Amino acid sequence: MADRDKRDTHRCRDGVTRRGFLASLGVGTVGAVVTGCAAAEPEPRGDNLEGLVPCHLEINGRRHTLLVEPRWSLLYVLREKLGLTGTKQGCERGECGACTVLVDGVARYACLTLALEAEGHAVTTVEGLVVDGQLSAVQHAFVAEDALQCGYCTPGQVMAAEALLRANPAPSDEEIREGMSGNLCRCGAYDHIVKAVRRAAAARVEGGLK
Amino acid sequence: MKAGFGSQQGAAVPGGPPGTPAESSAATWGETLVVGAAVPRVDGWQRVTGTAVYPLDLQFPGMLHAAVLRCPHAHARVKRVDTSRAARMPGVRAVLTAASPGADVPWYPQRGKGPTSKLFDPHCRYAGEEVAAVAAETLFQAREALAVIDVEYEVLPCVAEMEEALLPGAPPIHGGGNRQNETLRYQRGDVAKGFAEADAVVELSFRTACEIHTPMEVHGSVARWEGDTLTVWDTTQGVFAVRDALASALGLPRAKVRVISQYMGGGFGSKLGLNKHTVMAALLARATGRPVKLFLSREETFLCVGNRPPNRLTVRAGAKKDGTLVALEMKALGTGGAYPHMPTSAYLVTDLYACPNVAVEEDNVFTNTGPGRPFRAPGFPPCAWALEQTIDALAEKLRIDPVELRLKNVPSVSQQRGGVPYTSTGLAECLRRGAEAFGWKAARARARGRGHLRRGVGVAAGMWGYDGEPRATASVSLFADGSALLNTGASDIGTGTKTVLAQVVAEELGIAPERVRIEHADTGTTQYAPASGGSQTVVVNAPAVREAAQQVRRELLELAAAALSRPQEELRLAGGAVVTPEGTAHPFASFQAFVASQPLVGVGRRHPHPKGKVALPFVAQFAEVEVNTRTGEVRVLRMLGAQDSGRVMNRLTFESQVFGGIVMGVGFALTEARVVDRRTGTVVNANWHDYKIPTIKDCPAELTCLPVDLQDRECNSVGAKGLGEPATIPTAAAIANAVYHAVGVRVTDTPASPVQIAALLQRREG
Amino acid sequence: MIPNFRYVRPTTVAGVLEELARGDARLHAGGSDLLGCLRDGILAPRSVVSLAGVPELRGIRELAGGEVRIGAMTTLREIASHPLLRERYPGLAQAAGLVASPQLRNQGTLGGNLCQKPRCWYYRGRFQCARKGGDTCYAAEGENQYHCLFGGETCYYVHPSDLAPVLVALEATAHLLGRGGRRAVSLERFFLLPSQDFQRETVLEADEILAEVALPAPRPGAASVYRKVRERGSWDFALVGAAVALSRSDGVVEGARIVLSGVAAIPWRAQTAEKLLVGRRLNAALAAQAGAAASEGARPLAHNGYKVRMLQGVVEEALRSLA
Repeated sequence: MADRDKRDTHRCRDGVTRRGFLASLGVGTVGAVVTGCAAAEPEPRGDNLEGLVPCHLEINGRRHTLLVEPRWSLLYVLREKLGLTGTKQGCERGECGACTVLVDGVARYACLTLALEAEGHAVTTVEGLVVDGQLSAVQHAFVAEDALQCGYCTPGQVMAAEALLRANPAPSDEEIREGMSGNLCRCGAYDHIVKAVRRAAAARVEGGLK
Repeated sequence: MKAGFGSQQGAAVPGGPPGTPAESSAATWGETLVVGAAVPRVDGWQRVTGTAVYPLDLQFPGMLHAAVLRCPHAHARVKRVDTSRAARMPGVRAVLTAASPGADVPWYPQRGKGPTSKLFDPHCRYAGEEVAAVAAETLFQAREALAVIDVEYEVLPCVAEMEEALLPGAPPIHGGGNRQNETLRYQRGDVAKGFAEADAVVELSFRTACEIHTPMEVHGSVARWEGDTLTVWDTTQGVFAVRDALASALGLPRAKVRVISQYMGGGFGSKLGLNKHTVMAALLARATGRPVKLFLSREETFLCVGNRPPNRLTVRAGAKKDGTLVALEMKALGTGGAYPHMPTSAYLVTDLYACPNVAVEEDNVFTNTGPGRPFRAPGFPPCAWALEQTIDALAEKLRIDPVELRLKNVPSVSQQRGGVPYTSTGLAECLRRGAEAFGWKAARARARGRGHLRRGVGVAAGMWGYDGEPRATASVSLFADGSALLNTGASDIGTGTKTVLAQVVAEELGIAPERVRIEHADTGTTQYAPASGGSQTVVVNAPAVREAAQQVRRELLELAAAALSRPQEELRLAGGAVVTPEGTAHPFASFQAFVASQPLVGVGRRHPHPKGKVALPFVAQFAEVEVNTRTGEVRVLRMLGAQDSGRVMNRLTFESQVFGGIVMGVGFALTEARVVDRRTGTVVNANWHDYKIPTIKDCPAELTCLPVDLQDRECNSVGAKGLGEPATIPTAAAIANAVYHAVGVRVTDTPASPVQIAALLQRREG
Repeated sequence: MIPNFRYVRPTTVAGVLEELARGDARLHAGGSDLLGCLRDGILAPRSVVSLAGVPELRGIRELAGGEVRIGAMTTLREIASHPLLRERYPGLAQAAGLVASPQLRNQGTLGGNLCQKPRCWYYRGRFQCARKGGDTCYAAEGENQYHCLFGGETCYYVHPSDLAPVLVALEATAHLLGRGGRRAVSLERFFLLPSQDFQRETVLEADEILAEVALPAPRPGAASVYRKVRERGSWDFALVGAAVALSRSDGVVEGARIVLSGVAAIPWRAQTAEKLLVGRRLNAALAAQAGAAASEGARPLAHNGYKVRMLQGVVEEALRSLA
């Protein structure tokens, strides 16, 4: 966990950080009125964050700096502040999986993750899977197997499948069901989801698609 | 007086509006190239990449966020609302209450009696009724402002249970007692005589729990005014229904209201009509001059946007020794909650099986609970749960195989509609082919196991009773480069409507479906289509789209025939070209007359239902379960759905719908129930943790979709019947029958979770 | 709606304890329970103290002599997949793998799992119940199908943890750190019944943290298992669960612990059933007999009588799997 200590540099009075924040205003994402940083005097042993505080996020390989309230979830920041609405909001309490993202490659509910918690970690959202306009193996398989209906849970399902296959490139059907069991689909696309993950696993193993 | 809104009955009510064209329909296709194929969704890319924009994703410059204050009591009278503190809270831009301009909108109409409530009714009849709304710069600020609205309630005695609502002295929910209407009765023949003639009679009583739709995307709207014109992005299954009701609620001309819902995260019937929160968003947007976004929280969606009402059903069935049904009787009690809603259906009892003597009584009471709305085949799954288990018990009593008993009683006409023949009826074939493919006989005869893990198989059948609104318009524009624009008002609620309609265009015009761009579900720019619900979407819209494409096709062939000096009948369209019998392909763009006059435009309409006949879908489903007799756990190991929905328009999306219907039925059978605290009348499980919809691990590991296409040439010009509803109607009953086969315990109440099965097993063993 | 709070990220245990000492603070481990409690107004602390930056609370290590220590911040996923735990304490790994959903196991921690707030729907809902300072327990006369069979008195919730019963069965010890230093409490005594303390679920003081859990080296012939009954394939807490830890010599049971989840506000030991096993060889008949004995003392409420049979069946199954 040594890398976590690096976050101590992300303090309000850090001039570099402030400049980073101001730069991010250019994309028009921070709607709140900025009143300065309430945590101007960080404590010696760690961060003491109150009011609107700077937050440094790495999302899909890009760094973002913005002001957040400590209570803001990663989901809220992705959707409302960064415009990354591919990550869906379903329940805001970890009961559906629509907001599944990868944090350091591991599937997590963005609604139950504070934005500040994601500092120092690499976040991947569904927007990060398409490379050069090409669908990932999982996305391609979801289309081919029709592993969706209304599509609202789909980005979360895709991210859960991505996490599963990164950890277990050749899962059994039972492992697929277990790995995908943190994502609800009210349309009931589950059977096709199993087939899609199976297909994606094969495509990845054959090396054609990532 | 304004009509009032919120009846939410749109899709399931037969009988169409005027303006229906009268020509006869075109013959259906014989062989098809694109229709019926496993074509991936035309919008699959958008849906898997997160680029599909759902209403909840929208942001506009200057947009405010709104939230609704709801009555926490099941029954109360609002004496005073003080919003002065809330109005001064940071970021608050507007507060809306009953006293606000434009907020006096009638709501919840009751047939023959007019509206029963209004947008903000001081008489709150269930926990979750709207009391006030706030718009603020952020959602946090809006919610924080709600917390400081001071409301004085006079808390009234409440009644949450339907039986208690009928007791003398029960708290009156509306003036005139708690019966929503007089007992509804249906009778044919003489049931007393029928039962007297029967060799075997079975009577069972059932209860089905209240089921909540809980689509993945919560309900909500974004409202934006430009002058006197209102645009609303809504999570709805039917933009036109919302448009009409909203225009009326706000006193606006219909042309000044535009409702858009292109991607939406599921509805299942809960998103058919206008919602109160949509009106509130529009009023707040008008008050502030800013766009307003108002979405419910997940918890709110369990309270105030509908449910499948709880039912208590008693079914009595009598048959001769050979299995011929001679009498059927059902008594039903249901509650549509605090406002008018038909909570039960006896349709299956009256029409699924041939039976000369049938009697039905349906009672409907008000309770202090959230109002019902149509939910995927309204009333049918509860009715199937009761009827199909009773038929199962009758088969046992008669020692006849349950499939054989059903086959013995397949009707050829709709008895409920006075003997009208069906355009096609696949009930017998669904049962026969389904049993064959499932391995029914062998599975039924197989030992059920002697240890604590018992296996059983069950069957249930069903049909859907609505054949769709006879009105829809579509237009198709074909360009000389072989691409086409399809314009239809239909919503694609996840069933693949866009893809299927693109296939129809592609089939007629000889182009690839991906060359078809679709403009849809926008009252400002697209043609009328009824709400997507009630299994009518393809049935109603595909014929209109086909007719539009056929017009274009005729025009193109005319022009090509002239240019090539060949008879039209010789020419066909394929690969974006006009092809001669010799196989020479002349690309569309090679016809100067086409290039000069492009696009070719066709307008098509839905034709009336076939005269003197009715087109309805049928289904039989088979289930195999494993029951743990120590713990009461039930696993559905496999299911097969044999579906007579006419032509399979798209093999992929057809299968998706069937499996989705089965999964929803698994939830209805095994895990789902709204739980209301009896004393306070409030829902205790208004979240997805305590209200349990199936996960991937609850979905049967083996699912089979068996389309039974009888090549119906009469139902409409595409040969397809409805699919969404029938796919979920018999599922729960088939599972319950399989449980009975496995362990000999009749599960009369939903959900058949271990909570209930363990108790039943315990009771059986004393 | 989560109310705002002050977020503190200490990097040492001392820093954490100092923050707790300032009062009105709650710990943030995985956050899966905390954020829900904040959202539902169950907790409304002024400060939330992150444990994520404290490395010494993480990890699984073996001490000389075979004792295994699991840091409170170790995730459920790590516990479920850890080779040493799977080999020596299979019941614990099983239990961790049966918690909630994959995503929640990636984020949920051992400490958070043991220190969850009660999962009663009245407590979590908008009811001013006795536990929240009101004057009535709504569950006592209300919708109590998920409530307790044992030890209910004025409050009838069941402890939501799957790990707790296994750890009690394995005779684990909780190591707590406070400003006064370290103290060790047997897991069995870590949890409190409402009759022992109406406000707290564990013996943790407001300025103390759970630092790690110690598992004694397994005895020769040791075996453990956890069996959970739930309504759905994931997310659900146990309707009833049974953790069993046995030690055997030449097939004869020497020590037995049977601890139930889903039936009491604490992991509930079925001591009569345990006693039946000692000195005997485990077989199907004995498993059934012990299962029947496990429900001794059960006092069902109006809607949870099914749990009696279910717990008998679950104990029988758990024992048969070790026979």
